[in-house]
Amino acid sequence: MKKAYILIILLIGLVISLSIGKAVLQNTLSTSGIYFGRIEQEINSYKTENTILSEELLTESSLTNIMEKAKQLGFTTDNILMTLDTSRPLAVRP
Amino acid sequence: MKWRYPFVFAFFILLFIFIIARLFYWQVIEAEMLSGLAQFQYGGLVKIMPKRGEIRTSDGFPLVTNKVSYLLYINPTEIKNRNQTISLLSSLLDITKASISAELLPDRLWVSIESGISASKKEEIEKIQLPGAGFEEQYMRFYPEASVAAQLVGFVAKNQDGGDQGYVGLEGFYDRLLRGKEGYLIQLTDALGRPIILNRKPMINGSDGSNLILSLDRSVQFLIEQKLKDGIEKYGATGGMVGIMEPQTGNIIAMAASPSYEPQKYWEYDESLYTNPFITNTYEPGSVLKPIVMAGALDAGLITPQTKCNVCGGPVSVSGYDLHTWDDKYYPNTNMIQVIQHSDNTGMVFVALKMGADRMINYLTKFGFGQSTGIDLQGETSPSLKPRNAWYDVDLATTGFGQGISVTPIELLSAFSALANNGKMMQPRVVTAVENADGEVKNVPAVVKGTPVSEKTAKVMTEILVNAVEKGEAQWAKLKGYRIAGKTGTASIPLKGHYDQSSTIASFIGFAPADNPKFVMLVILDKPTTSIYAADTAAPLFFDISRDLLGYYGIPPSE
Repeated sequence: MKKAYILIILLIGLVISLSIGKAVLQNTLSTSGIYFGRIEQEINSYKTENTILSEELLTESSLTNIMEKAKQLGFTTDNILMTLDTSRPLAVRP
Repeated sequence: MKWRYPFVFAFFILLFIFIIARLFYWQVIEAEMLSGLAQFQYGGLVKIMPKRGEIRTSDGFPLVTNKVSYLLYINPTEIKNRNQTISLLSSLLDITKASISAELLPDRLWVSIESGISASKKEEIEKIQLPGAGFEEQYMRFYPEASVAAQLVGFVAKNQDGGDQGYVGLEGFYDRLLRGKEGYLIQLTDALGRPIILNRKPMINGSDGSNLILSLDRSVQFLIEQKLKDGIEKYGATGGMVGIMEPQTGNIIAMAASPSYEPQKYWEYDESLYTNPFITNTYEPGSVLKPIVMAGALDAGLITPQTKCNVCGGPVSVSGYDLHTWDDKYYPNTNMIQVIQHSDNTGMVFVALKMGADRMINYLTKFGFGQSTGIDLQGETSPSLKPRNAWYDVDLATTGFGQGISVTPIELLSAFSALANNGKMMQPRVVTAVENADGEVKNVPAVVKGTPVSEKTAKVMTEILVNAVEKGEAQWAKLKGYRIAGKTGTASIPLKGHYDQSSTIASFIGFAPADNPKFVMLVILDKPTTSIYAADTAAPLFFDISRDLLGYYGIPPSE
């Protein structure tokens, strides 16, 4: 009888300690949700910043932008291929 | 009394079996549904909008991507000084005070003021700390190269349900692929609504849009847009277009049309500019169709390059109509090489009548006329060929020199590419690969549309076209040292039952280098005014672009 009594006490104790442990763990994790939220916010802000920076990078490296800047700096079209041909006739054949 | 024990025992056994069965039902069979219900009680559904896919040129540069913008909203109940808020917003956002005032009704809790606000503008507004103001992050389409390839790419606008939808071009054709799939995630929260880290699942049932990798060469596209713009100005045309294709694969290297529009501000332009004229516009091609008709006749064995034209000494009379050459010059007993060289209409009437309507229809169909090319762009039109019983002799004769038949520029480019690719015609395509949200790249295979003519015919026709460039009316513009195959086309514009004599559509189609073509190109100028002839307008523009392309590809002169 005594052994059975001890066993029951131990089992009840185990149930209580596990319940308390679970409550503590849940509470800890629950509050860490705030930090998690903050971390997620931070990640999102970095992602946004990244998108904005890549947008700037793409604008700067676009051919449209390069051509405009080249024009401002006085560059003209480079004729890679030159052919010496007879000049266009004054009056072109119809 | 003995029956009581077994009875009680059996009762409990049955009770346990029932309980176990019930538990099995809830915990195994209905487990998913119940856990789903429980998750809804513990937290909430967060809708995740997919990011629309990018459209990249062959060098990997995004022609279309997404940029972050913000929607400014205001809670009118939190506003302290209404007039001051209205003035500040009006000056910052360049919106009239009246329209802001009309929105800021005190009985509303959330009012959208302006969307598409840039990050810098957002910071500016945040600095003044307007009470009740807030921002919502959103993504919108961004075009780093501005209006480059606008009509090919298309644009994104809101549909009837308020969602994003791609219209025309690639955005329209690949809308479902680019759009991705809307997903959601379940965020568990504690009693105070704070997020719990446990059981947080990633996006469910959703995925971002796929990226499209194009055959389009950004540098070539940029180049032809500049050249086309200059050409239109130089030759006083009302518009124009250029299409360049790789004949071996059907890859569209570049495609431009002018006038065009800015996809970022599409609403500021006329709707007629949204469509891509290279795939939607139909026109009577004129002399650029002659090589196609002649290739058919050569392939059928009806003529050889040396065949003499016995009707070319003067105007040809067909069904009571006198058909003339474009310059009213006639070359008796001319051969087929010279017919193309002089762009001789009477010579082509001779060829067309030799072919007959059935063969003509057969070859035009083989070259893809009268049917869609299957290019992966939204909005392609395909004018059908006349039914067989509507082909009279005069129709057959005029088709020989490209009049009385309607084609789209893409049909013509696709057909001509068969001559450049040993008789094999490829389906034109713009997308060569698709990259899904996980980064997996799937290549789109090239499709052979058919073999309208034999390799031998294609080679003979190429030589005839090289001769046309060397000795034809556009010889003054040709590139020295390069063998280029090509043909001019000056098409009259049908107007109320007759042809407009004062304006034309000038075009030049060709490929280079003739022996191992790197590209096939079609140049079209609408109503040029400096000269109505293609030899003086479209041809020099073609050779001007070709010069730069040959240099770009590093192809040296062969002669």
